[in-house]
Amino acid sequence: MQKYIQLIGLNHRTAPLEIREVFALNEVSPKQLDLWQENCPVKELIILSTCNRVELLTISQGHDTPIEWMLRSWARLCSHEPEALRPYIYILNHKEAVEHIFSVASSLDSMVLGEPQILGQMKDSYRLCVEQGTTGPILNRLMHKAFSVAKRIRTETKISQNAVSISFAAVELAKNIFGNLAPKKVMLIGAGEMAELAASHLINNGIQQLFVTNRTYARAVEIASHFQGQAIPFTEIYNQLPKADIIISSTGSNQTLINIKDMRQIIKKRKYKPMFFIDIAVPRDIDPDINQLDNIYIYDIDDLKGVVEENLEQRREEAEIAKKIINEEVTAFEGWLRSLSLKPTIIDLLNYGENLAQKELNKTLKNLGPDLSPETRQAIEQLAFSLSKKLLHYPITFLKRKSQEEESANYFTSLIRRVFDLDNEPIPPEAHTLKKQKKD
Amino acid sequence: MTFLTLFDMTIALLYFLGALFFLGGILGSTHFLKRCSLITTLIAFLLHTIDLVLKVSQSPEFFITQGQFYFSLLAWVLLMIYLVLWWRLKLQFLALTASPLALMLFCSSMAINTDTLSIPSELSLLWFGLHIAALFVSIALLAMAFGAGLCYIYVDKKIKHKIKLNKLQRDLPALTSFDQVNHWAVSIGFPLFTVGVLSGFLWAGFTWGEIFSFDPKEILSLAIWFVFAYLFHQRLALGWKGRKPAKMASWLFILSLVSFLIINLYLPTHHSFQP
Repeated sequence: MQKYIQLIGLNHRTAPLEIREVFALNEVSPKQLDLWQENCPVKELIILSTCNRVELLTISQGHDTPIEWMLRSWARLCSHEPEALRPYIYILNHKEAVEHIFSVASSLDSMVLGEPQILGQMKDSYRLCVEQGTTGPILNRLMHKAFSVAKRIRTETKISQNAVSISFAAVELAKNIFGNLAPKKVMLIGAGEMAELAASHLINNGIQQLFVTNRTYARAVEIASHFQGQAIPFTEIYNQLPKADIIISSTGSNQTLINIKDMRQIIKKRKYKPMFFIDIAVPRDIDPDINQLDNIYIYDIDDLKGVVEENLEQRREEAEIAKKIINEEVTAFEGWLRSLSLKPTIIDLLNYGENLAQKELNKTLKNLGPDLSPETRQAIEQLAFSLSKKLLHYPITFLKRKSQEEESANYFTSLIRRVFDLDNEPIPPEAHTLKKQKKD
Repeated sequence: MTFLTLFDMTIALLYFLGALFFLGGILGSTHFLKRCSLITTLIAFLLHTIDLVLKVSQSPEFFITQGQFYFSLLAWVLLMIYLVLWWRLKLQFLALTASPLALMLFCSSMAINTDTLSIPSELSLLWFGLHIAALFVSIALLAMAFGAGLCYIYVDKKIKHKIKLNKLQRDLPALTSFDQVNHWAVSIGFPLFTVGVLSGFLWAGFTWGEIFSFDPKEILSLAIWFVFAYLFHQRLALGWKGRKPAKMASWLFILSLVSFLIINLYLPTHHSFQP
């Protein structure tokens, strides 16, 4: 019987945050949705719930459409009416659903194009559903394919290269100047979300020390304790500046805090060791002219935005290449889906046997030489072909019998295809290591 | 002799391949080619060492009076310094300077034809060793500072002017690594250069009775020494870093090259390679 791949969901484009919060299915086991009754058409299910999307991917069988079932049980689980959910969802069928899953895994559908987290989240969701036993041969294959497509896109395109957030762009620049950030000291002047984000990225890169200063000293102490840094009084800035390699500034001050005259002294005191200023404040805290001094680099918010914008533009171009790869893979997957039905598999099996017999025949006949009598030749040919047919007789009758049972038909066709390697699948590189691990 | 020529050709070919592989590795950002480059360069360097030892042991008196020998020796020293820097600082990109330069010098050593040098009869191995080894090592160090300096100036300009770095440039080492090369070149190169020049003057004093004879080579060497001394002082005492020392070291290298190639080949001097 025909199986349908369907996906319903909402994401950051179709639903505002309040709605996404209400209908989030974080850590919800797929068994909690009441889709597992006798008459429900849903056979396989995966839930994907992240902060930007909630999606249900299903394989269904039968004449009923599962959409209403899914909507109802999803809304009920979130204690709402299905009608509250309906305006925000999208429904994708078959090919579109496959394409969508591949795009999501490759982060083409993400808010930040090419961000790497989504793949990990998908793998976690998938693992949960496998543990709960709600996946079957089709979804297993689909998800594995989605992961390998994502990997392929990551290696073949430049979609996840170059920083696309301001704080990451700043860290990358710092690496271009200093190389290893571990022995570096950072000073945070003023507070603010973006400045603190940049500071935490730098800390993740293992910087040696963080100084924090603020007009109100108590606030400096607070931030410093959060990052395990050292708070210094605002009046002490000039004495401490020569120690700092990277300075992130974001005060609400209307005047410039640091000017070129002071910097001449400071850089001399530092023995001309390079300094990198990140000025996120508007209006700017640091005189942009200090960029003229050797070994001093300053990037303000617009400079960083410029870097990010260029990088994003490049990602968008790469996304076009990625889409071509996805189209290719969707076509391949559809081919596999079609082959899951009984008839093509039997034909493939018989072809496989015949090819094998022919190949062996050619070899044997060549070895026996040209003096063979036509009778012997015919007998050998007959032997080879009938042997191959007889060998395949039981697998084929087995498949035919199993195809009567709705539940297991796909599983066994897929199994036979794999046993006889009818799809020429490459052996996964970890296949043997897994075996070894089990032995240990 | 034909065997040695063939040997030389092989070495040149290997150096060429090494330089080519590295260029390919940088442009295609493939690790494999860079690895190939390192291996070929290493093999070439070993063969080169054997080559030098063979030649010198055959007839030491003959070879050290040949201009070609010095070209070959400078190429060898250059590569040795590159390999040491690669080993100590992991600065493989210096191959960009070292391999082509060594190739050039080595090929010139095969191509040029020089007259027998008039090495003073009072030649003692100590003076010779001091003079040549110290100067060649410092020139090789300057060559590295030259390559690193050019890279520094280029990347520094891009970051200062907020021009996006492309993939190739982002894969280059950080600015501070380039500066580190300069630091090595200056702090080791200058003392060696001083020893080299000083031993030359003393040797001249013993041989010809006068220390300074207004030879063009001597004048230029002295000029280089003064600039080098200034750089040495600024770098070590004041802590100069970055663009200025990079520029200065690059000029010093160009001057040294002029001194080695142009003066020795075309001007009348004690060091002349002229036929």
